[in-house]
Amino acid sequence: MTQSLRQPSRVQITDLRKDYGTKVALSGVSLVVEPGTFTVLLGPSGSGKTTLLRCLAGIEQPTSGTITIADKVVAGPAGNVGPERRNLSMVFQDYALWPHLTVRRNIAFPLKSSTLSKVERASRVGDMLERVGIAHLADRYPNELSGGEQQRVALARALCAHVGLVLFDEPLSNLDADRRDQLRIEIATLTRDAGVTAVYITHDQSEAFALADRVGVLRNGELVQYTRPEKIYRHPKSAFVARFTGVAGEFPVTRVREVGEKRVEVQLPFAPHMFIEATKSENSPYDKDPHLFVRAAGVTLHAATSPEGASGVIRDVAYNGRGYEHVVEVGAKESLTKVYSADRFERGDCVKVLFDPVSCFVMNAQEEEV
Amino acid sequence: MTVDTLFSEITPSAPPRQSMARLRRVRWSGLAVWAVLLVLIIIPVVTFVVAAISPRLFHQGTSYFTLSNIATAFSGYTGRGIVDSLWVSTLVGVFAVSFATAIAWIVHRTNVYGRRVWSGAMWLLLLIPTWMMTLGWIDVLQPGELASALGVHSLFFYHMFFGASGIVFVLSSASLPFSYFVISVALRGLGSEFEDAARVHGASRWGAIRAVLPIIAPALLSAFAISFAEAMSDFGTAFTLGSSSHFPIATYTLFNAIYAFPANFPVAAVIAAVLILCTVPPVFLQSRVMRGRSYAVLGGRTRAVRRQEFSPFTRVLVTAALGVLMLIVLGLPILGAVTSSLTNTSSFVTPTGIHWTLQAFKDVFVSLPSYTSLGPPLWVSNQLGLVVATGTIILGFVLARRLAARTSGASQRVMDVFLLGSIAIPGIVLGVGYIFLYDQRFLTEHVINLYETMPLLMMGLIASSVPSQARLLTGPVAQIQSSLSEAARVHGASRWRAFGTTALPLLSRALVWAWLITFTKTLSELAIAQILYQPGREPASVVIQTYLGTNFASVGSAATVITLVEMLGVIGVVLLLFRLLTPAGWRRIGEVGTIS
Repeated sequence: MTQSLRQPSRVQITDLRKDYGTKVALSGVSLVVEPGTFTVLLGPSGSGKTTLLRCLAGIEQPTSGTITIADKVVAGPAGNVGPERRNLSMVFQDYALWPHLTVRRNIAFPLKSSTLSKVERASRVGDMLERVGIAHLADRYPNELSGGEQQRVALARALCAHVGLVLFDEPLSNLDADRRDQLRIEIATLTRDAGVTAVYITHDQSEAFALADRVGVLRNGELVQYTRPEKIYRHPKSAFVARFTGVAGEFPVTRVREVGEKRVEVQLPFAPHMFIEATKSENSPYDKDPHLFVRAAGVTLHAATSPEGASGVIRDVAYNGRGYEHVVEVGAKESLTKVYSADRFERGDCVKVLFDPVSCFVMNAQEEEV
Repeated sequence: MTVDTLFSEITPSAPPRQSMARLRRVRWSGLAVWAVLLVLIIIPVVTFVVAAISPRLFHQGTSYFTLSNIATAFSGYTGRGIVDSLWVSTLVGVFAVSFATAIAWIVHRTNVYGRRVWSGAMWLLLLIPTWMMTLGWIDVLQPGELASALGVHSLFFYHMFFGASGIVFVLSSASLPFSYFVISVALRGLGSEFEDAARVHGASRWGAIRAVLPIIAPALLSAFAISFAEAMSDFGTAFTLGSSSHFPIATYTLFNAIYAFPANFPVAAVIAAVLILCTVPPVFLQSRVMRGRSYAVLGGRTRAVRRQEFSPFTRVLVTAALGVLMLIVLGLPILGAVTSSLTNTSSFVTPTGIHWTLQAFKDVFVSLPSYTSLGPPLWVSNQLGLVVATGTIILGFVLARRLAARTSGASQRVMDVFLLGSIAIPGIVLGVGYIFLYDQRFLTEHVINLYETMPLLMMGLIASSVPSQARLLTGPVAQIQSSLSEAARVHGASRWRAFGTTALPLLSRALVWAWLITFTKTLSELAIAQILYQPGREPASVVIQTYLGTNFASVGSAATVITLVEMLGVIGVVLLLFRLLTPAGWRRIGEVGTIS
């Protein structure tokens, strides 16, 4: 169902559970998506993010729990509201463009059940075609378009509906790197310009951080952390969140000593004569098998003559357009990856590695199974 | 059994994702679907076959358990029929695969002229029932008919035709398209790199072909299996040549067993069981082969086929050879029927020459004491075709959705195997099973009396068509990504509107073709029609046999031609209507070959 005036929807999910036979796909998921915000649900395959999105869309029916969209309970003990009556639209992973309809008719589809006149519909479709830059493709069929163009059509269809909530199911996963970056920006700007609430799922942490006002990390059907992207990056709630959102290295700690309310100093096997300052995790203890988790941004490289830092050897170097990413071997088996430096260090060079305590965390490596 | 299943097996299918809500609905509807299949197929066939060993259970003998009927069935005339069927079907399989391989290779791997024409001819051959082909050949070979007119001393061939040679020839011709389509799929997917590798390593052109043939061995085996099963279950040729051939085959001895006085249902049941045992394994083998790992060569990296370039002379020669072959298997029987229908004399050539006339086409629509007009029977056949095709497509679509569902529950697996097995059940067995079951006193007196009624004939025809059509539709149904209808739902469409705007357009071409195949097959179906027709309301295929049985050859030929023309005409009209009435986007689906 569509409406002429878009009101961004507030989404509230409470204690959502979804079972497939004996398999638990979602368990105890609760979150609130504020109106007009862009929320990204991040997780590996099988974490339940797709199931969660499909429950929101009404394609799947939750086993228990409630979903409220725009103050209307759409799934709960009283029953489930059909997808067509949830006032939302969706961009599918495989685009789900109807191959027998032209681009124009694909985009116009959501307007069929609206009260708009034909002229108004045509005008809105034309406007949307212009906005996503595919006006010249209006009369083509989906199979005559490239992947990026198809994705634009899917985006236009979702935004043309003028609904309060737009769902995105890994919309960039089928595109090559260049198109992915370009379309990611377009999704971000067009969605925000439209003023709708967006829920987006992906397994790509860089995509999540680039798009989100809030990020939710899912693991084995549970929402393990849901907050602003900066907070997830700086204060991962667990080793899983830290790993999934990107670490340059993870090392067992031989000794830990507290040096402040939020800081500790640790000793590492490959640097037994020095202490490295790191941040204590706010949420995760380090009492069983403490490890140091290092973000790529928390490491700097210096010449071997530098008086400070742990010793390392450059094993690989790659130019990334604005500088160099290095793989640094810091122990017998340990190494740091994606260590950025504006200067190039050659393979085999001896270097010193310095750690920034803000981007280094101490946590138990083994987590209790969720 | 029809070729339709071949294509459903070949079609790569990616089962769509399915919501739990839908699964629940599917489970509820599952019971209803199984109930329909029980009534249509399972109970008639099972009760009939059980009568072979327990005749008293159905008031057909004195024993609750006996093996004597098996001994009887394997002795004498019926025993000979079973043995004849086995070796004839084996020979048919060999001939069909040999010729089909050569034709498929020429059409798909060379620059022979008229490739689309040859593929089209195979489709036409597929549509022509064996009884029609047999009648056409009788019209050609009968002394004084077409062959005589062409100066061929046909008496020798005529006598040969009424025997094993004729049956093997007609069944090989009829089985040719079955093998051709299976092998074509394998050849189309086989890139040229294998031939290139053989040539590079020293093989001659013929050596390269021999090197590649083992790669398509699964398809060859599959083609043999399906041709064997088709020949084994064929009734049209056996019935048309009938007792005149003095060469009994199993389907005809089964028919004789129930039309003898007194009818011997237990022996017929043994023959039916033998037919099922002989036709079901090849169909399963074919299915297994087509799904097996052997087709790993058909990968995305396979290079496009490079056609062998014939020299101009060879190209003309090979084209001419194909033309002659098609003329023999397709052209001559049609020509025989047409020429016979256009002469109203006892023979095509008379001492005063050939007398062309349309009299037979007029006579065929006039009722005389000696025969009935074709009009009412043709009308009955069309009614049957309409009801059976529509019923089959509806039930077939429901079954296809269940088969394409992502669940792998026991019910779905059992249904998959059951439908595959049902395709192999010969029409004659189904027909006899129906009269056996629905003539049982407990049914006719206490439940419902369907014996010798149109609804029973319709049920029988639907039962014979549904398994193959359900499997035919499973491919297209499974290819539709579930996200397409989900997208429609999410963007405001109700369940029915989502179906009408997404699934229906995408399936429209497959549904139309499935309907057309069922309609035309029903129009020409003989085995079930001959056994289950309602007295006074005979379908055209049954009446045509009576024309020929009463020496009205020209009228019979005219009726055959009219039926064939109608079959082709309906296909043409329906496809034209589809073209005119459906939006352009609907028609693109089959043409572009992708549903995504």
